[in-house]
Amino acid sequence: MDIQKYPIKVTLHKRGEMIYFSQLDMVRILERALRRAGLPIYFTQGFNPHVKLSFLNGLKLGVDGSLEVVLYFTQKIEPDSVRQKLIPQLPEGLDIIGCEVKN
Amino acid sequence: MNFAQFQKPQRYIGNEWNVVKKDHAGRIKICLSYPDTYEIGMSNLGLRIIYSLLNDFDDVVCERVFLPDDDFAAFFRNSQAPLFSLETKTALKDFEVIGFNLSCELNLTNFLDILSLGGIPLLAAEREKVIIVGGGIANPEPVADFVDVFFMGEFEDSAAAFVEVLRKVKDKEERLKALAQIDGFYVPKFYAAGFNGAKYSFEKKYAAANFPIRRMFVKDFNNAPHPDKWLVPYGQIVHDRVQVEIARGCPNACVFCQARAVYRPYRERSIPAIMDILRKSYENSGYEEFTLLALSVSNYSHIEELIDESIDYFKDKKVGLSLPSLRVDDILGRLHSKLSSIKNSSLTVAVEAARDCLRDKLNKKIDLAKLFEAGQILRALKIRKAKLYFMFGFSDETDEDLAAIGKFLHELSYKTRLNLNVSINVFVPKPFSLWEGEKMDSEETLLNKRQIILNHAPAVRYIDISISSIKKSIFEGIVSRADRSFSRVLLNAYRKGARRDSSSERFNWDIWEAAMKEEGFDWHFCLEAKTENHPWNIIE
Repeated sequence: MDIQKYPIKVTLHKRGEMIYFSQLDMVRILERALRRAGLPIYFTQGFNPHVKLSFLNGLKLGVDGSLEVVLYFTQKIEPDSVRQKLIPQLPEGLDIIGCEVKN
Repeated sequence: MNFAQFQKPQRYIGNEWNVVKKDHAGRIKICLSYPDTYEIGMSNLGLRIIYSLLNDFDDVVCERVFLPDDDFAAFFRNSQAPLFSLETKTALKDFEVIGFNLSCELNLTNFLDILSLGGIPLLAAEREKVIIVGGGIANPEPVADFVDVFFMGEFEDSAAAFVEVLRKVKDKEERLKALAQIDGFYVPKFYAAGFNGAKYSFEKKYAAANFPIRRMFVKDFNNAPHPDKWLVPYGQIVHDRVQVEIARGCPNACVFCQARAVYRPYRERSIPAIMDILRKSYENSGYEEFTLLALSVSNYSHIEELIDESIDYFKDKKVGLSLPSLRVDDILGRLHSKLSSIKNSSLTVAVEAARDCLRDKLNKKIDLAKLFEAGQILRALKIRKAKLYFMFGFSDETDEDLAAIGKFLHELSYKTRLNLNVSINVFVPKPFSLWEGEKMDSEETLLNKRQIILNHAPAVRYIDISISSIKKSIFEGIVSRADRSFSRVLLNAYRKGARRDSSSERFNWDIWEAAMKEEGFDWHFCLEAKTENHPWNIIE
């Protein structure tokens, strides 16, 4: 009865003021951005559901650089649609530089 | 500036989602502050209400500043750079008006520290800028020398008149004169105040100033502004959730409670108005947790319907709904069936006194037999924790009353198997509470009573007891009840290094005692029983 999940890999560029935000902060930033964007978020199953995200790399606090994160959705969704909906919900200093279906 | 050199740099960036950044040119510049760290200040709903209220005026720009943590404060001290606002990093001294939310007596030295770090003279008489203070502060007198104007009560209905004065009048003295005539505003320098023998009296020095000062209350609470563009910090704060105020004031009348006197009468927001705020706040913030806020949520007339509607709206969105506290009656009665869908359900009961006769005197209506039943229900729902509050230091309390606390805790944990988190506080006769005229127990008596409580308290791992420090409680009593001459003590203690008095590790009684002695302040007199002549009597 597990719900099918559709992963999309997003590459973000963290720069400017956003370099002061940790990986843990990034989880909150992305979760709330996904919620505001009204995207079909995949939640972890269980007693305390939360948004599922997986980071493919880490970035030290205070460093300008790129961050790869896999987002999961409950429907098949075009990467471009994710990009379009997410961009206006991301803070200044967090840019999407890549968005593709993750296999 | 490289913020990475400071602990938790996120709190100094000021780029939260929904932050308001305006061009300063041609606008009235106000900086708003809660004199504690960012994590605590941003958890205060009042500050958020006023931030959005003031920024709604097109010709006003309102920014924020909080108390920098030690490392960041040291940076300002060492570099002589002035403390700046979060939004545009504008130096505090470049704002026309700085507004402080003083809701806690133990934040007074923090308030002075923010001014000092901002390079702003501490004494009202020595500066050009207008410092306005509002919030839960009940007795303005102890800080009167540092404040140009106080606003007493709820600010929402008075904001327009305030902004209008700032628009039309630019000279500080003229501004204060104009404000002193508007209901709710109190300009301390327009009144000579002090003890004349045993009588505390106020004498007007500016004929047109208000006398007495009326505390203001929002008339139409249902339509009162509530922030729906919720400011979303990216780092974690103390209350990391959207707070929706469903009612203001409290219909109960516990004799020791100050909040019910400062926010009254009891008013409720309608369900449609609350649902509108919930929806807009969710869409604008994407927050994953909401809480319904009131002094006593359980008293909300349609709480069941409200919870049903909120849960309906949030269910598919996987948003958690929490209530700040539940009463025994809710668990036994109408909310029983809904508890499993409410996040972090736990039982919070302000028992205050373990024996019925003392509880009756406090006007605290709780049926303890029901508490035991409620505990059983919680256990069945797999909720294992309960938070309990007690109070001691009442003049006619007996050793038996004190010993009963421990017996009660033992019995409750034994019968319900709940883990108990118990907080035991000293009774402080707060201004405007029904017992404002009572005396506060002496240190010796309080230490004795504390020992009796602890001697009877069960020392087991499932009962966690914290009991407040006697010295700190006495200080809280002094600073909440003091008269205007306390300003000198405050300045003296601040200069001696008193800071962040709300923290048990930082609070230093010796500094305060030395400052009171040097300034000739009789704190024992401050805590005596009085029926009238309170320094806060200028407030109606």
